[in-house]
Amino acid sequence: MGNSKKKSKAGSNGNRPRNGASRSNSQLLGKAVRPFDSAQGENGAPTSNHDVRTYSIPDYRLEHPNFTVRQVAEKDKHGDEHVRYEVTGDRDVPVPHIRDSKYLSKEQAIEIYRYMLLNRKMEIALENLYKQGKVVGGVYFGLGQEACSCASSYALDKDDWFAPMIRNQGSLLVRGFGASDVMMQYMAKADSPTKGRDGTSHFGDIEKRNMVSPISMLGDLIPVMSGVALGARLQGRNLAVMTWIGDGGQSTGVTYEGINFAAVQNLGLVLVVESNEWAYSTPSEMQYRCQDLAERAIGYGIPAVIVDGTDACQVYDAVHEAVARAHRGEGPTFIEAKMMRMKGHAIHDAASYVPKEMFEFWKKRDPIARFENYLLKEKKWMTGKENADLIADVERVIEEEREIAVNSPMPTPESAEGGVFCEEGCHEIKPKYGMPKVKKGTAGYKETEATVHLK
Amino acid sequence: MLLTYLEAIRQGIWEEMERDPTVFCLGEDIGIYGGAFKVTDGFIDRFGPERVIDTPIAESAIVGAAFGASLTGMRPVAEFQFIDFIACAMNQISNMVAKTHYLWGAPVPLVLRGPSGGYVHGGPFHSQNPEMWFVHNPGLKVICPATPYDAKGLIKSAIRDNNPCLFFEHKYLYRRIKEEVPKDDYVVPIGRARLAREGRDLSVITYAAMVHTALEASEVLRNEGIDIEILDLRSLVPIDRSAIAETVKKTNKVIVLHEHSRTGGLAGEIAAIINEEAFDDLDGPIVRIAGLDSAIPFSPPQEHYYLPKVEDVVRESRRLKAY
Repeated sequence: MGNSKKKSKAGSNGNRPRNGASRSNSQLLGKAVRPFDSAQGENGAPTSNHDVRTYSIPDYRLEHPNFTVRQVAEKDKHGDEHVRYEVTGDRDVPVPHIRDSKYLSKEQAIEIYRYMLLNRKMEIALENLYKQGKVVGGVYFGLGQEACSCASSYALDKDDWFAPMIRNQGSLLVRGFGASDVMMQYMAKADSPTKGRDGTSHFGDIEKRNMVSPISMLGDLIPVMSGVALGARLQGRNLAVMTWIGDGGQSTGVTYEGINFAAVQNLGLVLVVESNEWAYSTPSEMQYRCQDLAERAIGYGIPAVIVDGTDACQVYDAVHEAVARAHRGEGPTFIEAKMMRMKGHAIHDAASYVPKEMFEFWKKRDPIARFENYLLKEKKWMTGKENADLIADVERVIEEEREIAVNSPMPTPESAEGGVFCEEGCHEIKPKYGMPKVKKGTAGYKETEATVHLK
Repeated sequence: MLLTYLEAIRQGIWEEMERDPTVFCLGEDIGIYGGAFKVTDGFIDRFGPERVIDTPIAESAIVGAAFGASLTGMRPVAEFQFIDFIACAMNQISNMVAKTHYLWGAPVPLVLRGPSGGYVHGGPFHSQNPEMWFVHNPGLKVICPATPYDAKGLIKSAIRDNNPCLFFEHKYLYRRIKEEVPKDDYVVPIGRARLAREGRDLSVITYAAMVHTALEASEVLRNEGIDIEILDLRSLVPIDRSAIAETVKKTNKVIVLHEHSRTGGLAGEIAAIINEEAFDDLDGPIVRIAGLDSAIPFSPPQEHYYLPKVEDVVRESRRLKAY
């Protein structure tokens, strides 16, 4: 490799620079790409005949938590060995400020705060419904991730699309669903968005709220959302299409396929990667080897940014910029939001495998408490009275929604039947953003005479 | 006009793309190269790279993206280079595409198509008939044409359908079967079987390439005074239960012939349908002729041994006639 090597111009995206990489012969800027030892001269600097490419990943965070989780074996009092997780690293650093948003107005910030409260109170209500035996199956929580779910979806325009994962129930409220919709899903009620056919956040709405229903398998929404952007682009619209994926879901093959597809096709995917330390009971150390998942974006050739997922302003700003890129037709963005899943995988899971020091560290970084402090004390955008009124109003809304959900009947057994196929008169299908304008070549139809593989 | 099976499919997709701007194609090597079997040869020149999209080698992404586009009201036609690779996209098809309308009510107008079947020495990963995986997966239409006329009429129906349609093209038939096909626009409805040959003595229920195997056998049997009826199912989902019952009521004896492995194959399902619809009309055991319960081997003598043959149909027809 030398400086004279030209970039290939072939392919649909051949004219676009890849990665935004800069080249340097003299110094190493990025941590993601390192020269081989043999390529280094004195003091570890690359020798001049090697072309070292460097990459930068903006990091909006005001702190960089640095722990390591590993498995250790210990003997109990009977002398039997048990394996548990141990965390090491500096956990006594002070909680940082909320970073001022470049884009959010006071009113918008307070609205996001309100959605975060709705998100949390809805999940508390769900926990209570579960304890009352009213929930079918389990309950999934986004405790500690409310800023990420709410501020990210708040940055979308009305016409943009989204597909939440299980811990993004707050995004449903931001996008206009009622808490009762989510509650009825959990209670498998007849009036739930899926009429009892599926639970949790597994529902969609392609008419008004532009939501694709998640499935339980991780990563499959990424190519699907890319396809939504592709369909809209064929109709002349550059939309932002947002979905989330965890550090666990990052490990699936379809995640790779989906991001790569969006990258190659330059589609407006806004992927929020929620690095929340634990995938069910597996720590991120056992999920991937790189320091930050955002480094993977370099491999896809798309821009990435790292944010503090407990800071609503950082999340909003990063997504806002990604959405703007998508609307300009500039392609996908990878946003890694760092935070902690503050409960078990689902309600049955006490998360006893998590070293308690980790909960203690992140509890001080509760996204709602931090944002409340920011709005009331730092910015003085709300008085204590206004905040108390807002909380009371959110609690009233959740109580009303709970009533609606509880009073919905269970579906009839026979309602299990039907609807497998879209039958005559069931749906009229038309392009949502207008008939694609097609350009046709002059070549007409002629029979193919080409040679083929297997005859 | 006289068209090959392949040309009929090509023309069907081409005409739908001419007719409806929401139809577009995506798949591996389908653009300038025109596809491994040339189904989309020349399409990119006419319809442009926006509507004839070469994708990365990523079947889950192809199906996922096609599904996503269909939610915006587009009608994507996604190609699998060989239908064997549909296994790579199984989760998208089974859990995403197939369940959508039932679970949350969104229509999915989507075609997944590709070459299937053996007899061309493609080996274990280029010869399979995986249609039964999807027959057992509610929410998908499964279409397996046997003739150029049907291939063109059914691909058009599939593209116009508001449901996910899996379109299995038999690669052995691509360039071997020719037929006179009307010049005017026509469709073949999905879910209706076709009598490929009328007969009195027994019925062979089959589809795709095996229709032609049965037809060849019928010529041999005719010389022996055995007159077989051949029912071409054309689609496995929906399956034409009344046509199955009708032929059983007429001939009272049935052979089910298919290329895929015997165990868990379509013949078991057809036998159950006959049991439910026409049990009293049976005058003999339902006979299965099917592929072996193994992977499909590569070497021609082994592949020949694995796959159903004309002589199998002849032998079993003689036996059943005499029963």
